Amino acid sequence: MILLQSLNSSRDFLPILLMFIVAAGFVSFVMVVTQWLGPKHKSKVKADSFECGIEQIGNARSPFSIKYFLVAILFVLFDVEVIFMYPWAVNFKSLGAIGMFEMFTFIAFLLIGFFYILKKGALKWD
Amino acid sequence: MELIPGISTEHYIFLSVVLFCIGAFGVMYRKNAIIVFMCIELMLNAVNLLLVAFSRQWNGADAQVFVFFVMAVAAAEVAVGLAILMMIYRNTGTTDINVLNKLKG
Amino acid sequence: MNELLTLTGLGLFSMIAEIFNFRKAIFPVIVLGLLGLLGLCYMDWGSYNSTVTHFSMMKVDNFSIAFTSVLTATALFWFMMSRSFFEDQTSMSDHFSLVLFALTGAFCLTSFTNITMLFLGVEVLSLPVYVLTGSRKRDVASNEASFKYFLMGSFASAVFLFGTAFIYGATGSFNLENIATYLSTQPQLSPLFLVGLLLMLSAMAFKVGAAPFHFWTPDVYEGAPTIVTAFMSTIVKTAAVAAFFRLFYLSFSGIHGEYADIIWAMAALTMVVGNVIAAAQNNVKRILAYSSVGHAGFMLITILVMNDFAAKSLLYYTAAYSAAGIAAFLVLYLVGSANNGETPLNAFDGLVKRNPIMAGTMTMALLSMAGIPPLAGFFAKYFIFVSAVENGYIGLVVIAILSSLVGVYYYFKIIIAMFFGKPDNLPTYFLTPIHRFLLLFVAAIIVLTGLFPDFVMGLMTI
Repeated sequence: MILLQSLNSSRDFLPILLMFIVAAGFVSFVMVVTQWLGPKHKSKVKADSFECGIEQIGNARSPFSIKYFLVAILFVLFDVEVIFMYPWAVNFKSLGAIGMFEMFTFIAFLLIGFFYILKKGALKWD
Repeated sequence: MELIPGISTEHYIFLSVVLFCIGAFGVMYRKNAIIVFMCIELMLNAVNLLLVAFSRQWNGADAQVFVFFVMAVAAAEVAVGLAILMMIYRNTGTTDINVLNKLKG
Repeated sequence: MNELLTLTGLGLFSMIAEIFNFRKAIFPVIVLGLLGLLGLCYMDWGSYNSTVTHFSMMKVDNFSIAFTSVLTATALFWFMMSRSFFEDQTSMSDHFSLVLFALTGAFCLTSFTNITMLFLGVEVLSLPVYVLTGSRKRDVASNEASFKYFLMGSFASAVFLFGTAFIYGATGSFNLENIATYLSTQPQLSPLFLVGLLLMLSAMAFKVGAAPFHFWTPDVYEGAPTIVTAFMSTIVKTAAVAAFFRLFYLSFSGIHGEYADIIWAMAALTMVVGNVIAAAQNNVKRILAYSSVGHAGFMLITILVMNDFAAKSLLYYTAAYSAAGIAAFLVLYLVGSANNGETPLNAFDGLVKRNPIMAGTMTMALLSMAGIPPLAGFFAKYFIFVSAVENGYIGLVVIAILSSLVGVYYYFKIIIAMFFGKPDNLPTYFLTPIHRFLLLFVAAIIVLTGLFPDFVMGLMTI
């Protein structure tokens, strides 16, 4: 933050702009050069998607197991709850015992939810 | 109080209004339900940006705490929304919101 | 605060009770818990030091106690009504815990003193109701209603948050008291604040279901299972209107002139649109859906008047409307479940010969909603009109009376079908004891609150 505040004119952003130009330039340079230099052998086998040497079956956009969806959603839910622990951790000392108790209550609620999804079998794979 | 010199709170307001409007138009005009969800997220993120900018302006932390609540609620909302969408997909086989026109009167 | 803990504890209990094979205990525990909640409200009422806030987030004052009592009583009736609907389903505890969490949100909505808590209350109330709306998983209409409700609800939440951000930008606080202080010291309102106020007003109108933001209401009410529609049109509506009133009463009442015209137009439009379109419907569920839009219009008048008497009459109106709503939707549910879930007007033909209790209670509920003396609905409308006339909104009262005359037409359409229709090939109904008790009890409440309006209004002394 102090670093950012010491920047006080648009000229100080010049290094950032330069970095953008260099990054974009390098990427486009490499892409063009590989197109230009690399040998090209077009065949059906080559154009196929690579699946560890196994013959590919069907379309890549086929429906997949609902389990992935459920686990992903549950992960998002529990993952986001962690953000409440950051401000708590920063102010841990000034909040004292009450803060500790409150956070334990919060975690207890989360654990009841976790227990519920475990018992409902939402995380079972088969 | 400016985080980056030369960029005042007004700039943040304009940016978040633009983001919010993009999200709102997306909700109204896109036909794919998943994209509509993404547009709602965009609206919420515009709000978050605005709140953080104002928090900086007022030198208070409460708006940043509010942003945490918005993020947590947005996650819950997405979970519920995607579950509803999943249910619709199972019954109709599509995520196009134009198939949802049974209720009219 | 004890109320909040009780509700959360009940919700958690019924969520995990099924896992521990306490399935049989869920319903009695919920009923006892809600009765205990009413007891807590009784103890807190009046004796509570209403200047105490919980970290400036919530304040349990008589306003919140009064509305919580109405919500809890309605929830109690709702649980008794819906027991048989959920009992044969495997997910009974899920449904019941969702409803209890929604009630927790409703409690937050009646006692917030900070916009953070208002936002959390709205979301905690709405998210379970989105799920409940779609609880008939195989039914595309239920899915569609759920999706529409979710989409509109989260859109409205985003608009609400955007308004909140602007108001924070102008005032530097989420605390309603600080916002009111800011407004009283500011000679000129900043445009930032006005934009925020407008966005917030639209979002709250959205949640209440007021025109021109009402278009989701009929579809969602029709598509949802009738039991859930009963919950939405009583508890969700009461909590949303109470939150709307509390927000404007505690923070924006100092700048009443800035938004009075908008609410005036909104209330008039809502009453006219709700009642006129309801008159053109033939599905009873849809008639009730549009009539609930119309009732939201009447409730908006109290937000326009915005004084202590308006708060009392709002409380009375929500109590009368909730009682009538529970009765009407219970009869609708019973008729619908014997008719493949369809509720056209002719399914009610000759109901009085097939089941006099159902027909009688439905008639009472509809007469109360229409505002026929001496039932509760009449005095509810009367008090609101009195407060509006005292504050000089005579034009609005004329519109309100005309639109409630339209209301009388479509309510009588149902009553005439029940009394004079020919019940050919229609089933007779056998009531379970709990439903019979509930129908008679709610009918008695509709009459008694009409005869003794002071009891309900006395709950609220701000």
